[in-house]
Amino acid sequence: MSVTHHPPEELLAGFAAGTLDAGEHLAMAVHVSGCPACRRLVRAVEGIGGSALEAIDLAPMRAGAFEAVMAKLDRSPSHAPAPANSADDDALPSVLGHYRIGRRRWVAPGVSMRPIELPGASSSRAFLLRSDPGTHMLEHTHTGTELTCVLRGSFSHEGGRFGPGDFDFGDDTLDHQPTVGDGEPCLCLVAMTGDLRINGFFGRLIGPFVRL
Amino acid sequence: MEWATLIGRVAAGDREAYQRLFEHFAPRVKGLMLKTGASSDDAEEIAQETLLAVWRKAAQFDPVSAGAAAWIYTIARNLRIDAVRRVARAGTVDHDAELDYLVDPAEPADDVMARNDEAVRVERALSSLSEEQSMAIRLSFIEERPHGEIAGALGIPLGTVKSRIRLAMNRLRALLDETK
Repeated sequence: MSVTHHPPEELLAGFAAGTLDAGEHLAMAVHVSGCPACRRLVRAVEGIGGSALEAIDLAPMRAGAFEAVMAKLDRSPSHAPAPANSADDDALPSVLGHYRIGRRRWVAPGVSMRPIELPGASSSRAFLLRSDPGTHMLEHTHTGTELTCVLRGSFSHEGGRFGPGDFDFGDDTLDHQPTVGDGEPCLCLVAMTGDLRINGFFGRLIGPFVRL
Repeated sequence: MEWATLIGRVAAGDREAYQRLFEHFAPRVKGLMLKTGASSDDAEEIAQETLLAVWRKAAQFDPVSAGAAAWIYTIARNLRIDAVRRVARAGTVDHDAELDYLVDPAEPADDVMARNDEAVRVERALSSLSEEQSMAIRLSFIEERPHGEIAGALGIPLGTVKSRIRLAMNRLRALLDETK
């Protein structure tokens, strides 16, 4: 898998700092887990986080803090990793195995989606989008941002061709008409941010098929 | 003694080593949490939880791939994400942010050599980054300071903060791509 389209550096830094909205966070997690170059960038920002700890103004702990933690040491449960989603026909990246993914529903001819439950309150939503080969999406613009990770297959628009591992960042300046590549279905993880009050319920329903 | 060595001792159950780590890092984690807007209670709790996790996870610490401070930073960051999500979901959180940062097991061989190469590349890039650029990234992303403060700290006009931050991140990306 050779990645040619990467996320904006600011989003990767936000991911490293843990400050992103849950939808953006998930899109970064999926991309980073499969992209060594972006993983290095995240590691580097984490390294700067380590330096920040060394440089920060100390805030004294409350009296008895150490003793309180010591008292918990012996009864600490060992860390058990969450069970991964199994029996999934989409062969998803392992990061997604820790998320609850809803049932598939059709949103347009040849296009189906599965909503992903995001932890915490989020101004974004995330879903898996699966489109048949050769599907043409409607030309459109949108508010907010749209982060897309290609998991399988490909699509193209004037920004280039996007294959497995590639990341597409869209914002409100976009006016795209993506086309899904021939040969195999295209499976993407999509995280959309934006004001849902503006998009409205109807916008949420049609969102998945107005653009990849 | 290096912090990494102390973490190794903690993994073997050395409580004296643990106390030294606690005394050094807990007030720092708390300080960073306060800086990023946590309440005093939350900052204290995340700092305690972070150091508790240092005890529990000491055996998982890999000195080859990360420095001690960076490792502790990531623990604090993950706990903070969980805490923010817990508040948003009124107590129910069935997700562990730590899991979002794991490398996909399908990735090519992740042996000690490979991890060391990666760490060296990251280390080299960070040391080639200018002090000002490193600070821009720290203040903006790690400490989440407002642009006005960043302008003051770097001695640059407010209007140029955004482009400086972008420039610093692009430079970091370029350094990581060129060091092999």
